[in-house]
Amino acid sequence: MYYRIIRNDIRRNKAVTLTTMLFVAAAALLVALAAILVVNLVGALDTLMTRAKTPHFMQMHAGELDQDRMATFVAQNDAIAAFQVLEFLNVDGAQLVFPTRSLAGSMQDNGFAVQGEHFDYLLDLDGNIIQVADGELYVPLTYMQDGTARVGDTVRVAGHTFIVAGPLRDSQMQPMLSSSKRFLVSTNDFAALKPFGNVEYLIEFRLHDMDGLGAFASAYTAAGLEANGPTLTYPLFRLVNGLSDGLMIAVILLLSALVLAIAFLCIRFTLLAKIEDDYREIGVMKAIGLRVGDIKQIYLASYAALAAAGCLLGLGLSLVFHDPLLANIRLYMGASANAALAPLLGMISVLLVFLAILMYVQHVLNRFRQISPAEAMRFGGAQEQSSGGKYFRLSVNKLLGVNLFLGMKDVLARKTLYATMLTVLVLATFMTIVPQNLYHTIAAKSFITYMGVGNSDLRLDLQQTDNISGKAADIAAVMEHDDAIARFGVLTTKTFHARLADGAEQPLLVELGDHTLFPLTYAAGRAPVADDEIALSVLNADDLGLTVGAVLPVLIAGQERALTVCGIYSDVTNGGKTAKAAFTDADAATMWSVISAELVDPSLVDATVAAYADQFTFAKVTGLEGYITQTYGATIRAIGQAALVAAGVALTLSVLITLLFMRMLVAKDRYAIAVMKAFGFTNADIQAQYLARSVCILSIGIVLGTLLANTLGEALAGAVIGSFGATSFAFVINPWLAYLLSPLLMGVATLGATIAGVWDAGQISIAEHIKE
Amino acid sequence: MQPIMVGANIVKSFGAGTERRNVLDGVSVRINAGEFVAIMGPSGSGKSTLLFALSGMDSIDSGSIMFDGVDLARLSDNELADLRRRKMGFVFQQPTLLRNLNVLDNIMLPSMRDNRKNVAQIRAKAKALMQQTAIEELETREITQASGGQLQRVGICRALMSDPQMIFGDEPTGALNSSSANEIMALLADIHRTGTSILLVTHDVSVAAQTERVLFIFDGQIAGEYRPGPYDAARDDLKTRAEALTVWLATMQF
Ligand SMILES: Nc1ncnc2c1ncn2[C@@H]1O[C@H](COP(=O)(O)OP(=O)(O)O)[C@@H](O)[C@H]1O
Ligand SMILES: [Mg+2]
Repeated sequence: MYYRIIRNDIRRNKAVTLTTMLFVAAAALLVALAAILVVNLVGALDTLMTRAKTPHFMQMHAGELDQDRMATFVAQNDAIAAFQVLEFLNVDGAQLVFPTRSLAGSMQDNGFAVQGEHFDYLLDLDGNIIQVADGELYVPLTYMQDGTARVGDTVRVAGHTFIVAGPLRDSQMQPMLSSSKRFLVSTNDFAALKPFGNVEYLIEFRLHDMDGLGAFASAYTAAGLEANGPTLTYPLFRLVNGLSDGLMIAVILLLSALVLAIAFLCIRFTLLAKIEDDYREIGVMKAIGLRVGDIKQIYLASYAALAAAGCLLGLGLSLVFHDPLLANIRLYMGASANAALAPLLGMISVLLVFLAILMYVQHVLNRFRQISPAEAMRFGGAQEQSSGGKYFRLSVNKLLGVNLFLGMKDVLARKTLYATMLTVLVLATFMTIVPQNLYHTIAAKSFITYMGVGNSDLRLDLQQTDNISGKAADIAAVMEHDDAIARFGVLTTKTFHARLADGAEQPLLVELGDHTLFPLTYAAGRAPVADDEIALSVLNADDLGLTVGAVLPVLIAGQERALTVCGIYSDVTNGGKTAKAAFTDADAATMWSVISAELVDPSLVDATVAAYADQFTFAKVTGLEGYITQTYGATIRAIGQAALVAAGVALTLSVLITLLFMRMLVAKDRYAIAVMKAFGFTNADIQAQYLARSVCILSIGIVLGTLLANTLGEALAGAVIGSFGATSFAFVINPWLAYLLSPLLMGVATLGATIAGVWDAGQISIAEHIKE
Repeated sequence: MQPIMVGANIVKSFGAGTERRNVLDGVSVRINAGEFVAIMGPSGSGKSTLLFALSGMDSIDSGSIMFDGVDLARLSDNELADLRRRKMGFVFQQPTLLRNLNVLDNIMLPSMRDNRKNVAQIRAKAKALMQQTAIEELETREITQASGGQLQRVGICRALMSDPQMIFGDEPTGALNSSSANEIMALLADIHRTGTSILLVTHDVSVAAQTERVLFIFDGQIAGEYRPGPYDAARDDLKTRAEALTVWLATMQF
């Protein structure tokens, strides 16, 4: 019997059934893909980091290295399982010449390394430890992918030639986000190249127990060992490695949640319409003594069939589609050890989707309880609670045309039904605006102020060179007389020691200078101005347990001074543990200097960068625009594309749902339409009424969606951005796009769909619906 | 006498192929201005179909229909709608009202289509009609809060809003008990006295006996015509008229 009911149901509402099923399938597909990707990403990441034996703790250090002191520390610390010091030979990108281009202008710190002795191995594409011969060069996978290098190419480095032997996987420096790239050469070649670059030490440890990582890091700091450079840990490597694919998975998960929500809305909507259609029959069934449970079974059965079909379709498609999405993970990380688990997990997650749908249908069907047999049989329809529309009367209405009035009245009277369409439109508006705003925010140059970098036109970095302050002064003197420079500022980072609550001392890198010239965006508080103020990066503030207003004693020129924390900012530079202050100091050791400048004519950045790079060869000169493109360019582009796709999906969705909704409304309203036609309303009148309903819902939807986008959406986007390290967050909005073009497009699409959906609404036979 | 409605040789068929049959098979009717006519006939004989065809709500296969001197075949859908709204009034067996609107709004709706600026005037007229039909207390009620007889009066009020030249009724008393039915018929008689033509489909002899002329339709054709003449409730005995009509109907094998 169930079978017959299901078959009839599907036959009667082919379009609606099909659309609902497709949404279920899409939701199942996305959920299954997310599951498969998660399993593979986690697995591949584990495999890569296990095979490469990624360090658990690594301190980068530029400068002298006291081998004996280090050996003593290692001997005395029994948490250490393995220890090694690798050298990273930083060379100027211009020295690395590939057949197609040199790496001049690359924002990455490109350098050479030899294969790890005990761990931190560089792997080939099969996951094996590369054995490199003299004259061979293994190139980071990224440079093979972007076409810079091909196997067999001849590469010149400072007068030496190498043959590209193949790509390498680097478990700690692979992603663009980690700003260094290691090229692998043999020990002999490394020695030959050494005079042409600066050596930076990678002091690496593997521990017996990862749980002891925090304790070990403290022990390392407490021992006062070499620490001129960022400190990196295993969890951080993991995070950075997984970030871009993780983001993709997050986007897919978000999308699947959205599509699932829409599938739910479709189901709710068709089900409500169906219940209304079948109202009299349900009343009769109740009257003759069938139990609510029995009646629910019948409806549940047809939706179970629909959900099952959709889920199976989605699962099948996920098996087809997961390959291209996995390609990136496979290439950069290799195969996953537990890849076989993936389809199983995919299946389980699809099963969860299926069960969720069934539960939802059950929930909607609970409305059956409210149906009174008496009412159902007398009026043949639900008595909708029209409380909102009750005082909205034609007899006292002077303003609205009759059709507009009827349209709005209908919306007020059948709120539950229209709520569905409203929700879809709100979601769609949200989906159009939020990614777009996110894109504009990230693409805006000011975005780097969330990342710990001031908003200037160009910057000169002085690092790993002697007499930094003298050289900085030279550059400042030149800038002072350069008419092209509007203003500039020198910030110098020095090492001080902070006194902790327990009396211990901890080294603290503080950037000194005028921080109001090229300000950051502060998560809390403001930039330091007075001599006794200090601003801390989020990581430092968390570490020290300090908030704005707290006092931090710092040893300055041999004296302890109490500095007040005036601000906290996000920082992703230099390992994220930084501080900023405005006092002057002549005593402490200078680590590095940054000179930022704003140009009178920002379009001349490239020329100015070239001129300063020429004049001051010891400085790394970068245009900020270029810095952003190289570091975040790919992410920005991806988000831009995602925003376009999201807008496209949202528009398609609104059109589809509107079309579906209008067709169903017209079908439901046949009787009312016939009545109105009998009493002299024209086809155009009827269409106008539907258009009025649409406009009504549409305007509420767009306003609500936009409001939500700017509140909830901003918070949500803030959470995403937060995963990059930025905390405080506000959208940079392109008002034309967000408040004019998007709503306009949305409106045109939805109204177009409405017109298409109701163009024949009036063309029904009056006789057929009224004649008795 | 001026005819208000003239239908000639109307043919209307339903179904396709071998199932196809003429529900109206060459029907001709002529209704004079101010006349009160009933159509009777067995169930399924084509009474409703004829009424819907004559009022332009349903298409016909062949034949012609003139209303107030205008050939309906020459009118577009929109012009037909205008005609129905301005010159015709309808009352059906079931109260054909919009569930969204309350009683007063349902009555006012068709008139508001054309001149909503005169809302006060329209409202006054609706209220007057409600008073006349003794349903003034329903004004702000939802249509679910009224009885069948009351709703039928609501329908009549709506039909009268445009001062139509002709009122079409498809068994307007069919769903009512006899006392409610008589009240409705008294109302229609009042309307008729103001000069409005009325065409009424009914299978109730005592209803038909209150009209001036009865057309008997059988198998899609007009099988006979009976003229009881004008009915005056004060003067004539309805029972006698009904018995006479029954006798005539018997000759029609009804
Ligand atoms: N839309 C339709 N499609 C097919 N047959 C119809 C349609 N409308 C009416 N009929 C048939 O035409 C005949 C006359 O119907 P109708 O005019 O409603 O009769 P009645 O005299 O009872 O009002 C009936 O046999 C009915 O089955
Ligand atoms: Mg009938």
